[in-house]
Amino acid sequence: MIWNFLRSTSRAPAVLAGTALVLSLSIAPANAQKAEPCIAGSWELTGALAHTGLAIKMGIDAAVDEINEAGGVLGQKLRVIAYDDQGEPSRAVDNARRIGERDNCIIMIGGYRTPNALAIRTVLNEIGQPWMGVISAGTRVIEWESGKNEWMFRVSAKDRWVAPFLVDHALQRTKAKKIGFMFEATGWGQGAVPDVEAAAKAKGTALVGKETFNIADQDMSAQLIRLRDAGADTLIFYTVDRETDAILRSMDRIGYKPTIVSAWGIGVQLGKTAGPLTEGVLVHGTFAWTGQLSPRAQKVWERIKAKEKLKDPSELVLPSGTANAYDAVYIIAEALKIAGAYDKKKLRDAFYQVKYEGIIANYDPAFEKTVERHDAILPAHYKLLAYHKGILLPVAQTPHALRF
Amino acid sequence: MGEILQYLLTGLSLGGIYALVALGFYIMWEASKAANFTHGDVYMFGAVLTVVLVEKGLPVLLAAPIAIAAAAVIGALVERLLVRPFNKEPNAIGWMLTTIAAGIMIESMATITYGPLGRPLPSPLAEQPIRFGGAGIYPQEMLLPIAAVAAMFGLEAFYRRTTLGRAMRAVAFNRTTAGLMGINPNRIALIAFALAAAIGALAGILIAPVVQAMPAMGTLIGLKAFGVAIVAGIANARGVVVVGICYGVIEKFIEGYISSGARNAVGFTLMILALLLFPQGIFGRREVVKV
Amino acid sequence: MTARQQFIATLLLGVAFLLLFRQLDPTGYQIGLMMRCMILMIVTIGLNILIGHAGLVSLGQAALYGLGAYVAAWLAVKQGVQFLPAIIAGVVVTGVFGAVLAYPTVRVRGVYLAVITIAFGLVFQNILVEWLPVTGGTQGLIGIPRGNVFGISLTRPIYFWVVAGCLIVAFIIQYNVIHSRYGRAMRATAQSENAAKALGINLAATRTLAFVISATLAGLAGGLYTFLNLFVNYETFTFFHSVSFLLMVILGGTGTLVGPVIGTSILTYIAEILQDLQEWQIFAYGFLLAAVMFVMPQGIVGSFSALWERFLSRSRARETQGWPDRSVPLLEILRPGEERGQIALKTEALTLRFGGLTAVDDVSLEVQSGTVHALIGPNGAGKSSLLNLISGFYVPTDGRITFFGASIAGLPSHELARQGIARTFQNTELFGQMSVLENVMAGFHAHYRNSLAETLLRLPRFGREEHRFFSQAHQLLKFVGLADFAEEEARNLPFGHQRRLEIARALALRPKMLLLDEPAAGLIHSEIEDLKRLIRLLADHGITVVLVEHHVEMVMTVSDHVTVFDYGRVIASGTAAQVQKNPQVIEAYFGHGSVMPRGRPMPARVEHSGAAE
Repeated sequence: MIWNFLRSTSRAPAVLAGTALVLSLSIAPANAQKAEPCIAGSWELTGALAHTGLAIKMGIDAAVDEINEAGGVLGQKLRVIAYDDQGEPSRAVDNARRIGERDNCIIMIGGYRTPNALAIRTVLNEIGQPWMGVISAGTRVIEWESGKNEWMFRVSAKDRWVAPFLVDHALQRTKAKKIGFMFEATGWGQGAVPDVEAAAKAKGTALVGKETFNIADQDMSAQLIRLRDAGADTLIFYTVDRETDAILRSMDRIGYKPTIVSAWGIGVQLGKTAGPLTEGVLVHGTFAWTGQLSPRAQKVWERIKAKEKLKDPSELVLPSGTANAYDAVYIIAEALKIAGAYDKKKLRDAFYQVKYEGIIANYDPAFEKTVERHDAILPAHYKLLAYHKGILLPVAQTPHALRF
Repeated sequence: MGEILQYLLTGLSLGGIYALVALGFYIMWEASKAANFTHGDVYMFGAVLTVVLVEKGLPVLLAAPIAIAAAAVIGALVERLLVRPFNKEPNAIGWMLTTIAAGIMIESMATITYGPLGRPLPSPLAEQPIRFGGAGIYPQEMLLPIAAVAAMFGLEAFYRRTTLGRAMRAVAFNRTTAGLMGINPNRIALIAFALAAAIGALAGILIAPVVQAMPAMGTLIGLKAFGVAIVAGIANARGVVVVGICYGVIEKFIEGYISSGARNAVGFTLMILALLLFPQGIFGRREVVKV
Repeated sequence: MTARQQFIATLLLGVAFLLLFRQLDPTGYQIGLMMRCMILMIVTIGLNILIGHAGLVSLGQAALYGLGAYVAAWLAVKQGVQFLPAIIAGVVVTGVFGAVLAYPTVRVRGVYLAVITIAFGLVFQNILVEWLPVTGGTQGLIGIPRGNVFGISLTRPIYFWVVAGCLIVAFIIQYNVIHSRYGRAMRATAQSENAAKALGINLAATRTLAFVISATLAGLAGGLYTFLNLFVNYETFTFFHSVSFLLMVILGGTGTLVGPVIGTSILTYIAEILQDLQEWQIFAYGFLLAAVMFVMPQGIVGSFSALWERFLSRSRARETQGWPDRSVPLLEILRPGEERGQIALKTEALTLRFGGLTAVDDVSLEVQSGTVHALIGPNGAGKSSLLNLISGFYVPTDGRITFFGASIAGLPSHELARQGIARTFQNTELFGQMSVLENVMAGFHAHYRNSLAETLLRLPRFGREEHRFFSQAHQLLKFVGLADFAEEEARNLPFGHQRRLEIARALALRPKMLLLDEPAAGLIHSEIEDLKRLIRLLADHGITVVLVEHHVEMVMTVSDHVTVFDYGRVIASGTAAQVQKNPQVIEAYFGHGSVMPRGRPMPARVEHSGAAE
């Protein structure tokens, strides 16, 4: 939905009022490169995936609070601004302009959805706005077809790297050597298809079945029957919690129990709703807050727990995203220190010099000046998690680890 | 063979939802010649409230009737505040917008307070599926078409045998004359909306153990059930239930044999075609108005 | 302020505002937002015509908007088509779909139509998501090249004026359509289908026109949106958006000229404020919609105008003149033909059955042109049914009807109206919310020569015809004594005046034959005398008048010929004097055994099932 501030045009007083408003809003900072110490994001804060926006904000808030308590960056405290795009790309574009031109924040943080990130590519380039993705894992977000990505960085997974990770683990576990693929009909799911097919080909195998479904579908028996009949005993999933619950139930109905290796669309919520049906489902992630934590991660968890009034790490519904956001803020802070000023161009150039040890990985360096290395997290840092008794844990802490 | 059976079974269950919700539209339309775009949301409300009450410790057999009663109250409020004042002229459309507005508010309130994520409603009938012939179904799911048919017969008996039911039919036939006979059409409309909401909430509660209760579950169901009711001719309970169940089965077969993505496109196109062939609905009565 | 003044004032103020806005050197962000608002105004202007004038509620407008956007996008990205042809293609395709969507209105209306438009929107959305190779699936189409017209690249500052220009064109189209016979025809079909048909207005064609106009405007807006955003995505074209377009129209004031502009801009401004509410945003939106419905259902402009009118107290006491006014040159206006002496209407064995009921039973009669021919009989005798058959509202089950020799059985009413059959209705079917003058102007609809293009472009012939029919309409009002009521809303007229208006409107059709269905019902004695004089005057001018009446005294003094019906059959036909003495007639009216003609046995009373009238 497109919102703006245009006033009515047909009555003189309204015109005057409108003019005044326009005047006040059009006072923009003269120097476009010098920026404000604010970190702003266009996230999904309302709607079906509202929990994703909140999860990102949690990670960012934790890092920003820590940094501000230690004195801020370059003598200034950081501010966090959250805009709601309800998952709509056109609103994301609006917000990108708002953040870049009106608020003039030093950096914009990305949200959950890949299509939204794709939509703002041109705008960010046009206005010269640094952007840090923390979830949207679509390959094209960072690796543009034209190769001319100058402002977008990411601390998150990359579908082109996730696909081989999943295919690898699927191949390790399949007995019949027949792998199927189940993906949601969204930008994320559809965008992953070429990646997964290429990864399978690279390993000398082919998918025996490829099935899709729509968001909010409640029954996938048709698709599963086809996959079962094709002989697939292991499935790769690009799905999210709600639909995965329906898929698991559909499997239960028809008595089909393949091994499932899933991208990180599914998380904590699935364990709560599908309970025993999730046992043994494997999930890719960058981080897990359940199980044994490092001392630093433990401290971060304590902080989040206190601020958001949570009781248990399993309440963090998007664990990888929250951790990505946390590390991303620190990387930004490091880059700012190297840049020496709140200047967008200097910040962007400083990114290539950041070396930092976060809770997910040791970034050494975080970014490089190549098309593919605007992504900070490497395949080596990817983790495999598994559901055990309804809780998502690092696979080594569950009975589902492979014994070699 | 197994797959045809599977599509049939899940289609019956889905069709049961459509039938129940569409029955609600039928009841409301008969009483006031107005539909109610919050109807999908009372379906959601029934499920969500039951989940909340159960989480607070109430046994489900107590929580469900409470949720149904609460939904009935909402239905009555919608009629009184949002439909009645905007239904004065014969071709008024105001109620469309007020009820759409209320639907938006209800759903977003639910998202804010309950959270956007689905939560389970435990039920013994949703734990083990019954499997036969290569297909399977949870017993919980079969409750829906059974409930729809039961509601249909119940409604018919109600309309024919009870005074209140006959009064409702009178109002549906001719509001003014019914009024002259001492029946208060406004009160009838109120009761009709409450009854419809109760039935809708029941549908939500019955299916919640299988699909999880979440705030977004009602909108599309409401729209589809409305289409089903209109296509059926919104003139008799049997037609509505038949078309509802058939539509659920058709959807599943479309998913199975054409594509799961095409489900809505094909389904709605069929609806449009049906309305073009039968402008008053498939089971509707052709009305000849004196010029 | 007249409509014309309001129109010009809005145009001038709008252009001034835009110029001022640009003077203030807004950022790319602000220009973009303003452009998006203007584009949405184009959509809501089209929707306003559809809802506010043609009375057709569409909840699928976002799909048409999206169709225009995707067609232009696909052509630009996948086929390398330039800006102008891409937009034009989008407009054409959307226009075609508008006509397709109009087709159901032939058979369904109201809520049923709403369901079809909702379904259309959902089907469209589904196709967008599923048809990956063409629509890009959920990702949509990205990387649309910036528009290029004759070598000029359409960057934001320039494109701003392209969009503004299109908005101005849309606004002008709205005005030109609304204030023309097409707009009148749309309002007529919305307010009384029967009366519209009886005046020669083709309902299907009118509704299709309304749909096509609203669709092409939406398609144009979609194409403009594509080249603004440089990507298209299905999320912009959902049911929710269709609802918000509807809200914009209603908030501004359905059917008003400036309403869509105001509604769109206010809603988008308020949304900017709503952004700060974060998760309460959607809730607030719903609350706003409800609030508008409760507090200002006529919308801002509508409520404003109503207050303004009350402030000005436009209504004053109106003077009723006597009628018929012989000083009015009826011949010039009505232009009756030289058909005197012919048989105007002839039916042979005409039968109409509704299931088991026979309303009209084997009726054969002849009506001489230039005469007054009355049809009388008890209630339920089939008189009105016969009238409906003649005027094309019912289709005969059997038999033939000819009008000046040509067969007319089964022809639709609007066709018969164009052939010269006009009628009034038992329950006066005026266009209640149109002015008295507009009602009569609607009657001239069938006689206009100028085309849609001439109307839209306001070519000279449009002005000439409008002016001519305008003055003739005034003359007709003068004829029935309602000249002073011209600006009054038709539904405010007292009952007798409504009857007069209906006749004036029917005369605007320049009929060869006028069917009057119980015109004297509810009139006082002096009005009936006036009516008799009018009827005779019309007959003297060569117009055939067929009259269904219960006022026996009136019938007997005004008619040249009387046909008596009972139970759907003709039981007597002749002059008034002949018919009065007919024993069957007397029995039908007064019952068995009232008058016994000497020496003749009473005819046996044949039992019929009660025929529906």
